[in-house]
Order: sequence, then C-alpha cells, then structure tokens
Amino acid sequence: MTTAPASPNLQNSAVQLLTPEGELASHETYSLTLTDAEYKLLYREMVFVRRLDQEATALQRQGQLGLWASSLGQEAAQVGSAFALEKNDFAFPTYRDHGVAWMRGVDPMKIMQVYRGVSNGGWDPFEHRCNTYTIVIGNQVLNGVGYAMGLTLDQSEDAVITYFGDGATAQGDVHEGFVFATTFDAPVVFFCQNNQWAISQPSEKFVKSPIYKRADGFGFPGVLVDGNDILAVIAVTRAALERARSGAGPTLIEAFTYRMAAHTTSDDPTRYRHENDLQNWKLKDPIERLKVMLARNGIADRSFFDAVGAEADTWGETLRASVRSMPEPPPESIFDHVYTEKHAVLDGQRAAFIDYHEGFADSGVH
Amino acid sequence: MTTELTMAKALNLALRTAMEADNKVILFGEDIGKLGGVFRVTDGLHKDFGEHRVIDSPLAESGIVGTAIGLAMRGYRPVLEIQFDGFVFPGFDQIISQLAKVHRRTHGSVKLPITIRIPYGGGIGAVEHHSESPEAFFAHIPGLRVLTPSDPQSAYSCLLSAIRSDDPVIFFEPKRRYWDKGVVDQTQAIAAPWQARILRAGSDVSVVAYGPMVKTALQAADASEYSLEIIDLQSLSPIDDKSIAESVARTGRLVIVHEAPGTLGLGAEIAARIGKSCFYNLVAPIERVTGYDIPYPPSKLEEYYLPDHDRILFAVDSVMEA
Amino acid sequence: MAIEIFHLPDAGEGLTEAEIVRWLVEPGDSVLVNQMVVEIETAKAIVELPIPWAGVVCAIHEDIGSVVPVGAQIISIEVGAQPQREPVLVGYGVKEDALVTRRPRRESTQRVQPVLAGVTAKPIVRKLAKDNAIDLSTVVGTGRNGEVTREDVNAAIGGDASAPRGSQDQLGERIPVRGVQRMMAEAMVASAFTAPHVTEWVDVDMSRTLEVVERMRVANSGRITPFVVVAAALIRAAQKYPRINSSWVDTTEGADVVIHPHVNLGFAADTPAGLLVPVVRNASAANFLALSAGITEQMEKARSGAATPTDLTGGTITLTNIGVFGVDGGTPIIAPGQASILAMGRIMNRPWVVNDAIVIRPIMQLTLSFDHRIIDGALGSRALASVATYLADPALEELVLKN
Repeated sequence: MTTAPASPNLQNSAVQLLTPEGELASHETYSLTLTDAEYKLLYREMVFVRRLDQEATALQRQGQLGLWASSLGQEAAQVGSAFALEKNDFAFPTYRDHGVAWMRGVDPMKIMQVYRGVSNGGWDPFEHRCNTYTIVIGNQVLNGVGYAMGLTLDQSEDAVITYFGDGATAQGDVHEGFVFATTFDAPVVFFCQNNQWAISQPSEKFVKSPIYKRADGFGFPGVLVDGNDILAVIAVTRAALERARSGAGPTLIEAFTYRMAAHTTSDDPTRYRHENDLQNWKLKDPIERLKVMLARNGIADRSFFDAVGAEADTWGETLRASVRSMPEPPPESIFDHVYTEKHAVLDGQRAAFIDYHEGFADSGVH
Repeated sequence: MTTELTMAKALNLALRTAMEADNKVILFGEDIGKLGGVFRVTDGLHKDFGEHRVIDSPLAESGIVGTAIGLAMRGYRPVLEIQFDGFVFPGFDQIISQLAKVHRRTHGSVKLPITIRIPYGGGIGAVEHHSESPEAFFAHIPGLRVLTPSDPQSAYSCLLSAIRSDDPVIFFEPKRRYWDKGVVDQTQAIAAPWQARILRAGSDVSVVAYGPMVKTALQAADASEYSLEIIDLQSLSPIDDKSIAESVARTGRLVIVHEAPGTLGLGAEIAARIGKSCFYNLVAPIERVTGYDIPYPPSKLEEYYLPDHDRILFAVDSVMEA
Repeated sequence: MAIEIFHLPDAGEGLTEAEIVRWLVEPGDSVLVNQMVVEIETAKAIVELPIPWAGVVCAIHEDIGSVVPVGAQIISIEVGAQPQREPVLVGYGVKEDALVTRRPRRESTQRVQPVLAGVTAKPIVRKLAKDNAIDLSTVVGTGRNGEVTREDVNAAIGGDASAPRGSQDQLGERIPVRGVQRMMAEAMVASAFTAPHVTEWVDVDMSRTLEVVERMRVANSGRITPFVVVAAALIRAAQKYPRINSSWVDTTEGADVVIHPHVNLGFAADTPAGLLVPVVRNASAANFLALSAGITEQMEKARSGAATPTDLTGGTITLTNIGVFGVDGGTPIIAPGQASILAMGRIMNRPWVVNDAIVIRPIMQLTLSFDHRIIDGALGSRALASVATYLADPALEELVLKN
C-alpha cells in the first residue's frame, strides 16, 4: 500500500479556545464564558456520546446491529454545536451525528432502531426538533435550508443548523443549498465536519481550497474552527446562530476534525490510510483536552471523572440489554404510513399479505 | 479457460479483460481505486492499471455521469460505478437528459459507449437506500440498454458485452449474489447478451426472473412438485419477447418474479406483451410475484417484502389450479 | 457448539498415507453430512472424502501437496453452528439460504380471481366457441364457478361441426380425433380399463311386450316402442336392485359406492353428429307415458343438435339399442361413472319351446355389462333376469297400465 497523504494541519486561522494540551486560549473574535456546571456537563455529554459509540460498535460485532457509523473523535464538533442550539431551533443531521441527536434529547434506542434495521427513521423529528438521519449524501442540506426559509416566512426567531461532511461538499445539493440560502438570507448555519475522509478518499484530494472559504464565493461568511475544541465550536456556532436569527443569513462553519474509526463497522481503513495519522490525531482528542483543562483549573477532580465513567458503564449495560431485547415490528407494518390517506391498492395488498401468511400450516406457531 | 469464481471476482475479471483489450476503457467511480470498491469488484485494478485508468471520483453522481459523457465524446470508453442503487438519482438527470438522447440528437454522429455499473436489490440486511430495484425507470427510457446478470458466468459475459457495446448500458449487478460461486468460461464472452436464456427446461409453468431472483426461482423449481421452466431474462431493455413467448406457447402458464414493486415494473411490461402474443396459448392468468408497492422496509422486515421460493410456489399453484 | 476434528481415514487396503490434491471447501463454508470436502491421492487412486458431520469449516490443517499419514488431523468442523452472516459495509450481509424446502400451507380454500359480470371462459375456449358460432351465454359452464370449459363448448357444438377433416398420406386416410370424439374415446378407455366388466345375456320372448306395445299404440297417440318398454323394465329393475344404479367413487379412505336416489336413464342415440347419449332425468318418477314422451323428446333434441350439456350429462344407468343395427348382443362398455349398461338386440322370430313344443316366437337378446366391483355375479344375474321377467311376464300389462 502506498503512503496515504498526511492529513493537513489545522491552519492558523482556525478558531481555537482550548488547545490539544488542555490550555485555554483566546481569540480576537470569539470567546466563551461557561459556568463550572456547564463545563462539567459538556464533559459528561461527550463521555456518554463516546460510550454510546463504543457500545454500538461492540453490538455490531456481536451481530446485534447491522452496521454502525462511528462518531469517534467527533464528539466536540457534534456536542458543542448542538449545545449552542436553542430549544426551538431545528437540526438536520447526517447519519453519523449521534452527538447531535443525543444533545437534542433523542433516545439513543431510537438511533439503534435504525442501525438494527427495525426502523428507517426511529424518532419523530418534531418531538426533538431534530430531523431523522439522512443517508443520501447532501439531501438534508437543501431540506434544512427550506425549513429555514419557512422560518423567515413565519418571521420566527428560530434558526436551523444543517450538518454534512467534507465528501458531501462535492454534491450538487450542497451547492444548491448555499445558493438558496444566500438568495433568501435563510436563517441557517451550515456545519461541515471535515473529518478528512469520504470512505477511502482523503479530503484534500477533492478540496483544493479550504471548505470554509467557499462561502465567500456564495456571498456569506465562512469560519474554520478546531473541530476537536468544544469551546471554540460552541463559540463559533453561537455566533453563527445569532447572525441567522438577526436575519443576516447563513454562515458556513468548517469544523476540522478526524474520523477516528472506519466509515462503518465493516470498512477496512488499513486499505487506504496509515496508522500514523490515527496516532497524530489521538493527541488531539476532544475529551482528553477538556478533562485536562477541568482538572488543571480545579473545576473537576478525579472523583468526578470516575463517577462519570461509572455512570457511563452502568448506562452502557442498560443500553446493551435494551438493544438485545429490542422488539420487532409486526410484518404487516411494512404497509403502514406509506400515505396519509386511505389507499385502496395498498389496502388490498396488505389484506392479501395477511391472508397469505396466515395460510401457512405453522402460522401462529412462529 | 474455465474457473470457479464468485460473481464479484467474475466482474473483476471482465473489467480486467476489457481494460487489457482496449486502453480507452477507463473506470470511474467512488472508492474504486485504492479501496477496490465497497464490494471489491475493482480490487487490484488500480494497482495494475494506474490512477489514470482507475479513477476515484468526487462524491457526486451527477458529476460522474455528466463528465463521463464528455470523456466518451473525447474517445474514451468509461465504465462507471454508482456505489449503490439508491444513490443513482443525483445522476438520473444526466442519464435521461443526455446519455439516452445524444446519439439520436446528433443523428448518429456521437456515440456514448458508457457502461454504468450499479449494485442493486435487497437481501443484504442493509440500511435505507441500499436495497433498491430501480431498473424499471431505466428500461422505460429509449436510448438506454439495460442488462442484469444472475450468476458469475452471465456476470462475466454480460459485462464484457456491455463494455463493448457502443450504446449506453445500465448494468445492474445483483449485490446479494456477489458472493455466490459459479463456473466461468471465458470463451463465452460474447454469449447472446441481449437475449434471455433458459436455465432449466420444464413443461408446466414458465417462470421468468432476472438478477437476484433467478437463484430464488431455481430454488422454487427444486422444491416444486411441478415442472417449472426457468427463464433468466438477462436483458431488460430490449426484452427478449420471443424466448418468453416460445416457452409460454408450450406451457400455457406464466409467472414473473422481481424484487421491484409490482406496479409498473418489468413484470407488467412482460405480462402485457405475452398477454397479447400468447393470448390463445394461455390457460391461466399471468401471475407476478413482486415486491409490494411500498418503500423498501427496514432490514429486519425485508424477508416479508422480498419474493422467496414459497411465494413463487404459491403463484405456481395458482396458475396450475386455474 | 463443538469442534470435531477429522482425521485422514484409511482409504482402503492398508494404505498408510495420502497426498492432499484439492480442498473442496474453505474455512467458513457450511457443510452437510457426507459432503465431499477434499480430494486425496493414494498410491492407487484419487478419491474424494466425505465429512461425517454438518456444520461450518473452522480450519484446514493440511495444505495442498502435503503428504499426510493416515490418522493425521486434516480439517476441523464446528458442529451444529449456524452459517455465519458476514456483515457488509452497509448492513448485516447476506442470509445464506439453508436447504430450501417449501414451507407447508394449510389446505387451501379456493383462491379464485374475483369473477366479473358475464360468462367466464378462457380465451382459447372463447375462440373455439366463436369459430363454431356458439353463443357462450347459451352454454352451461361446468368449470369452477360456472366457467365454460372447452368440453362444454365441444358438447354444445355436438361434435359434427368440430369433426376435423381428414387428410391423406401414404398410410391411408388420416382422420384426426378431436374435441368430443377424443373426449369420448378417453372416457371409454377410462371406463373399460378401470371397472372390471362382467357381461351376461339372456334371451327373452318378446311376444307379450309386442302385444302391449300394439295395444298402447292404438290407445295412445304417443310413440310407444319396445325400446320404451325395455326402458321401463330396466328402471323397475334398478328400483329393485339399486346397486345397478350407482357409482364407484374413490376416496382417501378407499372407495364409496354411491347409490343414486333417482334413475337418470341415459340411452344411446345415433345422430347425424354421431353417437350421443341423452338422459331422461328422474325417469324413475315418470309414469310410462311420461317416460315415453321424455325419451322421444330427448331423442329429437339429440338428433336435431339441440341437446344441451344438461341433456347429455348426469346419467346413472344406460340403455342401448343395438338391435336396430341388426345384431343380437355384445359386450357393451359401461358409461364412465355408472355401474351397469343394458343392451337390447334385434327382435327376431326364432324357434322357441313352449310346453315342450317348438313354436315361433319373437326373441330378443338382452345383454347386461356390470362393474364387478359394485355388483357381484348373483346380483347382476338377478337384475338381468328381472328385466327379462318383466318383459316376458304376464304381469307386464299390469305394470305398464298401472304406470
């Protein structure tokens, strides 16, 4: 295997408020003040999101899930950006943004339903102001812009955040999303997690100029942030949401991070990237740097970290047990909710289906 | 030369053979290079033929198809890979608006010898958008040819024929059969690709299937008390009416099987044609065993959607008892 | 789940070692009991070895080309393991088809396509009707849910119109057998080679019958013939010996003899369309004159081609008059589904013995074929004898006049 290109270094222009070593930094434009409780909350949430990811990965290996798209390494980008949202804002995630769904209050079991193959959606988007996962790359960007356009028509003060990856920036839908958002000054934050990989393709192959700079071409601001720095992510996202609410239009945030695991559980990254990359990025871990900062500044101590770890352990057990015992929907439910109104053809097919299955000699015994 | 290969390896061999024979053949698609494709169909080709002939594309299906048209106009013979059936739709515009029409538009001056390989169908326990059967959309469009193999031999032969054809060919690969093994005779390269083939002779019922359902139909034949004639359609556009009609003229009964939803699927077209040509030979209504008219269900429920041998045999009973 | 290790067996005749030529399976493959897993070469031959367990191959211990002593471990099988489902990038992976057998269905109720208004018939049957100028709405359908079948249409056609033209070849004139003719031929074969036929005959002095026929003809305007009288006598015999008016029906437990409550008398009629067998339904309830009228009416219908399927089906016993052709008796074949058939021969003056003297009497032979599964020799004989007795007996007049 030839040497994979080394991942690009974070540019100096990237917003950073918390270094990989756990040092607080200042920035000329962005700053963030949080309470101790909030810092500890952020730590806890990232730990749980990572634990969710680890449990799901293990469950897939045991055949309990069909697959899992890991968010390992992207906790700060996801938890941080979602933390910045107000209750009534609406999020449009991809299929990897478990930290976002988590922060919006989506029950992780609902995410498990999707990856276990029990549901294609899992949850009610309106219950959590978080759309269901979108697997077709880029579709959700246009959908999010549309929702934002609706907010404008309603003269609402809510905003939309729509997520996508570096690979998605090649899709037409994303560009069209930019065009529509800028045309209508839609109250939307475009949050791109550049995790450096689109399955086997490194981002710099197709990204000749930094992603955040594209916004210029479309007429709105773009900002590069250290995606593993939760404080910077929050600050930058808050500012972009403010801008959206004020009617000034969209912002593109590029969160520079790294996909620490494979594309999905059955991908084999050793085919296309080097172990060294991974080691470099381990040194930039989002949770570790926050932990160091909390400890160094006396905000949290060992007993706090242990308690969170223990809590996560217990929670992990419950999650595992719940997934293993997840009920399956009845077969005839495949005919549900195809339409809002009664549909004679489908009703006929459903009846024939039930009839057919009851016609087996062992039906009712299964 | 004859070897036993999986379907994925048979496709790989066909690509290699085509690339060795004609250096204008280039491969273009997502993750087909170093990774070798998500199903390893292009495994090893990047290493042997280089990055100028096995090209990893940006993540954009419209871009892949649209630029391939330009490449073809420049004299290349692109073989494209759309990573999954459910992702072809961003490229649908270029396929319908340009790929299908250019030859006609230019009164024959421009040929677009492009093959678009698309893994399709269900049965792999996948998340949404990875188990679709959109073949009818393409078979419905004049200007496109549509082929689908069912086993390693037809995969090898049909892919070669598709690449060699000067017409645009949409090549649907039944992904659930990628791991099935079979004998591949490389001298069978140009076996009649635009025709159906009878895989098993029978006297009671003609069963027409294609792609992933051919193996299912053969399983049904094994388990049936009746004598089923199993026809692998292979070519979805053009449809080989003649072979089907000859069979139905002998049996008087027709069952058509496909995963795609029944309404307006290939089965509907075949039923209409055979209903006409074999009107006086039929002794039973034509039966279609298909997916229901619903979006493809979550993977835990896909077995209730996909036609299986039991559903085929149920239809066989129906036509035998008519 | 246990791991079973397969050791190289003694392939025969005291061989001590063998070379691995080819593995027919790989780790991860599922195997069935006695499935061939390896080809080995001994000093004598290349043999395939079967595995004695079902499961999944977990390891192969010897490479191709290795020379392995008998008793060495060569392959391990995880017994009782379900074939693993290999996950793919986007899901669980393919579910390997286990041995594919049909999942049993309950006894099915009729799965019929809902019938729309109008006559139902297959396209080819409609064409047959149309080509033969038969109005489908006049044909009684005997198929499922009243579907008009090819047989129904052929019966409506009556056979003549569908009688195919012959052709000539070097063997002579070749006349295709189609439609009704073919159907009848098949029915005949079915009857003749399913029911064990026993045929008995008796000669009857018909002088009394002929006298009665004459008197009835003078007294009534109807056409009274000896045939009608024989029919009446047969019906009487059927009422006295019901088994001659029954059907043999095969069942899952064996068979039933179904004794019909009425006598639907079928009688062979020679018509321009060929041999037809019209039926007088419920002939047992008819008095003599009604019976006569019924026979006459059915004969007319059959001869004119107006007989419907109802007229031509449903018989429970058959009477055939072969005497009109100038013969006495024979071995008639029972109509399919019936138990017996009576043939009457010509009535001809013959020497007869009355009170030890030779006299001239009009003598007719009666032949009864019966299904020996249903009717034993004694019964068959008695039934035949009773017909003969009625015809010759002085009580006949009473029988006839009472009816």
